[in-house]
Amino acid sequence: MGLAHIAIAGLAGLSVILSLWALRRDSPPVWRFAMPAPVAMTPGAARIETLFDYAIETGQAHSPTIVMGEGGFDVLWFEGSAEAQADVDIHHAAFRQFPEGWQTVAHGPRMTRAGLGKAMDPHQLVVTLGNTVENEARPGGVFATVVSVGGWAMASVADVTLGEAGPQAARKLNLSPFLNRSHLVKSPMVAFEDGSFGLPAYFEMGAAHGVLVRFDARGRVRDTARMAGAGKPIQPMIVPLDQGHAVAFLRDFEPSGRLLVSRTADGGRYWSPVAPTDLPNPSAPVAALNLGDGQILMAANDDPAGGDRLSLLMSQDGGESWRVLEVLEENGAGARYPVLRAQPGGGLILAYSVGNKTGLRVRLLQGDWSRA
Amino acid sequence: MSGIGASAALALVLGWVVFALTGLVLAPSVAAVIGAVMGVLTVALARETVAVSGLIAVLAPFGVMLPALAARHMAVSLGAEVPGFATWEILVFLALYVGFLCSAFGVIPADLYRYGYAPWPVGGMVLALCLYAFLTGNWFLAGVAVLGQLFWVLGWGSSNWFDMVLHVALVPVAVVVLLLRLL
Repeated sequence: MGLAHIAIAGLAGLSVILSLWALRRDSPPVWRFAMPAPVAMTPGAARIETLFDYAIETGQAHSPTIVMGEGGFDVLWFEGSAEAQADVDIHHAAFRQFPEGWQTVAHGPRMTRAGLGKAMDPHQLVVTLGNTVENEARPGGVFATVVSVGGWAMASVADVTLGEAGPQAARKLNLSPFLNRSHLVKSPMVAFEDGSFGLPAYFEMGAAHGVLVRFDARGRVRDTARMAGAGKPIQPMIVPLDQGHAVAFLRDFEPSGRLLVSRTADGGRYWSPVAPTDLPNPSAPVAALNLGDGQILMAANDDPAGGDRLSLLMSQDGGESWRVLEVLEENGAGARYPVLRAQPGGGLILAYSVGNKTGLRVRLLQGDWSRA
Repeated sequence: MSGIGASAALALVLGWVVFALTGLVLAPSVAAVIGAVMGVLTVALARETVAVSGLIAVLAPFGVMLPALAARHMAVSLGAEVPGFATWEILVFLALYVGFLCSAFGVIPADLYRYGYAPWPVGGMVLALCLYAFLTGNWFLAGVAVLGQLFWVLGWGSSNWFDMVLHVALVPVAVVVLLLRLL
């Protein structure tokens, strides 16, 4: 045995020690969803109040997300001359509830490309920003879609800590072996039984597929589960039904004119092949929420003719069949990219872009929508 | 730590490119010095420029294998004895790696990258590489695999071990090496 072989045997021994260390420190993901608590409803008949109606004169403002906080919530969106351009930053409006009602207490830029690039570890160029979602595992945390070269297909997802003055720290999630590219986010996180959260994301290059991302205790990616199959499934909206079961609604990027669906029976570890539903959909993402007792409330573009009509729909059977509760925006309003969150104190918040990406609308759904 | 590692890796890779180009007309020892100086100076003085921060954005995470290959190439040119790879090994690697990338794109319906997050599969793959390295006497391969595992366990760089031992830039590097061996 030569010196090289002794060195290799030593390296193998070191590898065994490292493996034992890694195993001891590892906390494998628990694949059981947190039991969805019934959404608290406010008293009275179902009704909708508009909190924020925002329009810009030039450029685009699009893809709102809702970040819950003390005494209210923030709505974040991307704004600039046009989508994917090198002047797009993340803007926000902060809403707080006072005895006299909801008020907008702040409004303006929240996260710039330059600020995010400097906060990144390692420091790097950020050319444009896209869809953002709240990191519910950490106060002040968001996941941002960032692009350093090319278009959305070359995007990455950054885990960002936001402070008062903007990004304080950020790092890209490691989701792809292809230069860590082509992953984006759109929909809110999913809670698991062990207190952790999973992030719905999607891979947009090639065949495209949805992804459920799980994290370790340090917030680093620990596992991923794919949703692949018919069409080009992107932008999964995951709705847990119980500890083991969930349904994911996906946009068909091809588009087929149908909303896609995938289901899991083992807490999200594996997902059924993505298949088309009967729901019409003009290649647009949807927002959905489990109201409890098998009821799912969904905001979706559902015009069979392919228009941009935005409706509220209800399913009483875990997403198998749907009925329209209310048409929120008629065709021609350019309504897209809804996001729906439950207020801890009761009521639902719905945000979406209008005017073909030139404005936003934030609406409060009050009353008992489970009986609507 | 990721920031320091990325800067060091970029300096090494940039130095390697300069070394390879200047080595076409200059002696290896001179080309190595020029490459090292250019790599370090570029990253040290121009780290916050659009060009260098853009390269970091595009190429990170660098992992261990790409900078290790760069260092190996320069060391061998200067007379050091570091084991390399046979032509058939590079061909097999290229075929397997392209298949791996296809699985990431969903062209092959298997998610192989997923196994790079978990301790058991990573431990098994590193030991398998060590066994192959033992049989072939290639301590460089074992060194890269275990150093990648060390960085992965420490949380330096990617949370996926595959990013430590693979990089998309290895595809053109492997093709160039194969072409040069054909000539």
